[in-house]
Amino acid sequence: MSSPVANENFSKVKEDWEKARAKYVAKLKQRENLSGIPLKTVYTQEDIQGLDLATMPGVYPYTRGLYPDGYALTPWMQQMVFGYGTVEETRKKMETLVAQGMEGYFGNKVFNMVLDIPSMYGIDSDHPEAEGNVGQCGVTLCTVEDYDDLIQGWDLNTTNFSLITGDNCLPALALITAAAIRRGEEPGVLHGNSMNWYPRTAVQDIPSWEPKNGYLLMTDLIRYCSNNIPAWNTANLFMYGLSEAGATPVQELAYGLAWGKSIIDACKERGLEPDSFVGRMGFQIGIQMNFFEEVAKLRAHRRMWAKITRDAGCTKPQCMHARVHVHTSGNVLTAQQPLNNTARITMQLMAAVMGGVQSIHSCSYDETIGIPTELSHRTALRSQQIMMWESGLPDVADPLAGSYYIEALTDQMEQAAWKIYNELEEQGGYRQGLADGSIKRAIDNSAYATKVKIKSGKQPVVGLNKYVMDRKDNYEPFKVDTALEVKALERLKAFKAKRNQGDVDKALATVKNACLELRDGQGELMPVLVEAALKGATNGEMCQVMRDVFGWVVTE
Amino acid sequence: MSNQHIKVLLAKKKIDVHGRASKLIARELRDAGMEVVYFRFGTVDDIVTAAIQEDVNVIALSIMTSGHMLIAKKLIPALKANGMTDVLVIIGGIIPEVDFEELEKIGIHKCFISGLPGETVAEYIKENVGKVSLR
Repeated sequence: MSSPVANENFSKVKEDWEKARAKYVAKLKQRENLSGIPLKTVYTQEDIQGLDLATMPGVYPYTRGLYPDGYALTPWMQQMVFGYGTVEETRKKMETLVAQGMEGYFGNKVFNMVLDIPSMYGIDSDHPEAEGNVGQCGVTLCTVEDYDDLIQGWDLNTTNFSLITGDNCLPALALITAAAIRRGEEPGVLHGNSMNWYPRTAVQDIPSWEPKNGYLLMTDLIRYCSNNIPAWNTANLFMYGLSEAGATPVQELAYGLAWGKSIIDACKERGLEPDSFVGRMGFQIGIQMNFFEEVAKLRAHRRMWAKITRDAGCTKPQCMHARVHVHTSGNVLTAQQPLNNTARITMQLMAAVMGGVQSIHSCSYDETIGIPTELSHRTALRSQQIMMWESGLPDVADPLAGSYYIEALTDQMEQAAWKIYNELEEQGGYRQGLADGSIKRAIDNSAYATKVKIKSGKQPVVGLNKYVMDRKDNYEPFKVDTALEVKALERLKAFKAKRNQGDVDKALATVKNACLELRDGQGELMPVLVEAALKGATNGEMCQVMRDVFGWVVTE
Repeated sequence: MSNQHIKVLLAKKKIDVHGRASKLIARELRDAGMEVVYFRFGTVDDIVTAAIQEDVNVIALSIMTSGHMLIAKKLIPALKANGMTDVLVIIGGIIPEVDFEELEKIGIHKCFISGLPGETVAEYIKENVGKVSLR
């Protein structure tokens, strides 16, 4: 790239600019973005000297986007997170969302469904520790019948089921696979996502598998899908989780990409060829409040992943594609003056769209108060649709490319992220950072630093530390009827009563053996879990057997 | 009691992954000179057992994923039944303000909305610890 920087005219203009600001320039405060990168007040052609700007969308390293014409061929997927109560209530919500126009690529149905926290953790609704949480912040899905009902009537070729699971990731995939088989279809017909995000335990101090076993389980799912459900997306690299735990955008980039690299490494160690599985890994990225920083982050992210995957041995373009689902940050929303959050969500959506992502969930303005209402959830979806159809934002691919600021910032974000990434890789990578707690400490410290900045007013938050009002909004949130917990329990009880307990016990014993083999690096667990699901084993029962074998630890 | 040693049981449900705010509050209460036991509970009985064993002055519940009403309804009688009537019980997280009144009727001493500085919570604890009782 040769910019006309030596241009005499520019030097003259710059002198005039310096003269114009000379009187007050000493008083200007140094600004920085959320990652701590110092910002100038003006960027010029000098700032892009030496940068490689000979790039196009759809061409390696994909800085400008994965596809040659951006959103022109098909817009991003609208993937609102939803799910509550039993499968019955959640099905109604699926139908509502379809009626409201929520759709994926080329009009496909996309369901980004969150399971309730007992299901995610791997306990059934009749477990004592599930009490009070059944069907509350997600749908309770325990049995193959629950999954039968979930997929009933949907064309599996054109419907995408994103299962927001936790440590029950393998059993959940086994249950939906069993449901497809019970319907007389091949597992290969399924489309959707497994979260497979054991590495989140680096920042979420929830009990989970011992680290080595967490990675064994992840790779088992990836291998099963490569062989049996080729269109299934096998791992969600949960950068949003890092971001919400407190990571700065640069830390989110560095640790998120290291997370991805750790899965590639683990799969290669199990004998998988990168081209056979990397293309089915995808990212979930958080969007915080500094608009340009987020756009630069998304551009840097694509470029960095392309380099990492190529270095790891990928040769197919789709394996170098960082496919991104955005989840706008819930953490930045305030309980104070909740409608203010609509402005925040709109800003975040703009950053995601101008950053060229593939799929978006937009938060609801009342999430800081409780579970979103029908109105707030619909408004969040409509915000995406307004962006899509009224704003003109999707007309042009990577519209901020060539901006002195955005190009310079993309490069700076990338350099800063490589620094953290390379240091971590030298110390053994993400798996080591997870095991020794260094990733958690770094991110916890960032969360603390952010809170200190907010408390001091250095980081303004409208309604929280600026323009504060005493008035209570007394907002009436959505409430999940607690009777649904009773309904869920009855559903589970009825299911257990009619299954053949002998078959279930036998199947679970087989699961245990497969777990023991897998722990020693042998055999495959997923096919055995599918068999157990077909015999009637529940989410919680399968998880319990897995916990017994793979160890269950709390990291603090 | 503001100059005395204050011990807080910060209780967070084991199966809930949302820990950013509760960990920050734990750190801020420590900054304020308190001893904080960060505790992941399974059932309400676990909270009571831990509170007795740790002999805490304060139980601070962090709830992000609903179920607060049920926990309060079980916790307060269980504390009384175990003779822990002088413990200060507070709650924070994603809790609708419309529930505050009922939670306080049940016996929770104070409900906090999200996003507050830990100092606000620390001040409340210092002013009220040792002065309340569960009846």
